[in-house]
Amino acid sequence: MKHMGNTPLVYLLIITGCVLAISCISVLLWFLGDASWQFWQAFGLSPLWADEWYPYESLYGLLPAIIGSFWVMIIAMMIAVPCGLSAAIVSSEILPLSWQSWIRMGMEILAGIPSVVYGLIGLWVLLPWLQNIFDLLTGHSLLAAGMILSLMILPTMMVMAQDALRLIPLEQRETAMSLGLNWNQRLCRILLPQAWPGIRSGILLGLGRALGETMAVMLVVGSLDRVPQPIYNILEPAQTLTSRIGREMGEAAFGSMHFSALMACGLVLAATAIFLSLLSQQHRGRLNV
Amino acid sequence: MKMMLILLALPAFILPFSCLIYIIVQAWPALSWALILPTDVTIPPLGDAFSGVASSGLWNQIGGSLLMMFLACLLATPIALSIALFHSLWATVYQKRILLSLLQVLQGIPPIVYGLCGLILLVHYLNWGISLAAGGVILAVVILPLLSMNAIHALERIPIEHTESAKALGLSHGAVIGRVWLPAAWPGMLTGLLLAMARSLSETAPILFTATVFSGITWPDSIFSPVTSLQTHIFYLAQEGSNAQSVHIAWASAVVLLGLILCFSLSAHFLRRYEGSV
Repeated sequence: MKHMGNTPLVYLLIITGCVLAISCISVLLWFLGDASWQFWQAFGLSPLWADEWYPYESLYGLLPAIIGSFWVMIIAMMIAVPCGLSAAIVSSEILPLSWQSWIRMGMEILAGIPSVVYGLIGLWVLLPWLQNIFDLLTGHSLLAAGMILSLMILPTMMVMAQDALRLIPLEQRETAMSLGLNWNQRLCRILLPQAWPGIRSGILLGLGRALGETMAVMLVVGSLDRVPQPIYNILEPAQTLTSRIGREMGEAAFGSMHFSALMACGLVLAATAIFLSLLSQQHRGRLNV
Repeated sequence: MKMMLILLALPAFILPFSCLIYIIVQAWPALSWALILPTDVTIPPLGDAFSGVASSGLWNQIGGSLLMMFLACLLATPIALSIALFHSLWATVYQKRILLSLLQVLQGIPPIVYGLCGLILLVHYLNWGISLAAGGVILAVVILPLLSMNAIHALERIPIEHTESAKALGLSHGAVIGRVWLPAAWPGMLTGLLLAMARSLSETAPILFTATVFSGITWPDSIFSPVTSLQTHIFYLAQEGSNAQSVHIAWASAVVLLGLILCFSLSAHFLRRYEGSV
């Protein structure tokens, strides 16, 4: 057995790899904090609720972008959750088994389309359409960004929900049937409550994805740094955290306050994403017990 | 109730294929072999750079995207493998839980944040400039969680009896890895690698400021020179927007990129099925 038998060498490789991974990631994240430190030091936490962003007059309010990100996430979830959930139910409970592979393939295509191509679709299909329907100046709006995002998180939602439904043991369904429950009762009383943990972590993962998506949002959201007037007006152009970073990173000089403020946007983004991901895990942990 | 659910679910079944068809229809006028195959590049006259770029082929962009993908996979695969081996050789139950939750957190962090970190550290502090190397490293970090989770799951699916009987035969750890685990786990790992390749091709935001330029580059001279990539090419063309020719080129680039990505992700799909049938 001379094949790959040199065990100390294998150990060395493993240790090097792990150390490399840990140092690489911690260094990257530490630099994010370091670069935004200048900004937090100068302004404290007040930019989080200040609503004016004019980098050239040293006004750095993060509120418009935070509200924009919030609305985009909500709109995306409002479309993607019902649609993805019912698609999962239909494909795993109603349609014959032989269709499933095709539906999975469709979802994989949808998940495979890169975000910038979604942006292109949004720019050429969605914006003129919204412009006509709502009689807007241009179609650039929070609604357009939310709709494109809902298309992007649909596969995540659907695959997670489908897996959760498939994991329910056959005995449960058979018992429910032998009790004489009809289809609706079985769905609402047996299947959905049991699949709920999986569906919930699908929702949280989708939220995280919607929060962090950049290119598609950047192309359709309009990049206007203003809190929507009134605050629930989703037909106005607006700005999200990601699109602001994407738009302005090119023009901010390295080391300036503007650069540091954009890093602070990145830090807020990363903190929210970590929070969402921990929330979804905490629940999945309970599922395993 | 059933009818309502089917009605709600209909978009999910129709949209993937209609998106695909729409993209191809839009790109049809600009699609030709001349677009993809290498052409002798003529340097466009100054001030006319945009139409020059729009009319030349996509060969360099395809090359740049693939180069960055290969670099990312080359960097990330050994690290992901060693994380997976650490997970299955030494880690205690507690450490395993920490490791998995850490990987999930890393996967949840938006790619543009990694792009920002890379911009500070690689482009400015290490002074690599806007370069292929910076893009490759950042993409490697982006795909690392995906790759290592897939490798971990592939190793976990090996029945414990195999490992135990191999150890009972007196094989060293190295031999267990090489002769027992690797033959059993390679389809799962390859699936992970293919998915990671597709992912690194579709990421745009993290390389926008760190690795790519719009024009003027045919082929990078070294790994420290900027490249052009298909993803960012689409973005720049989409932003210009007015010129009909450039719009068609943007859709054509989208088709080429989508074709590359679907090559990888659909072969992962079929590999997973093959693995299930074995």
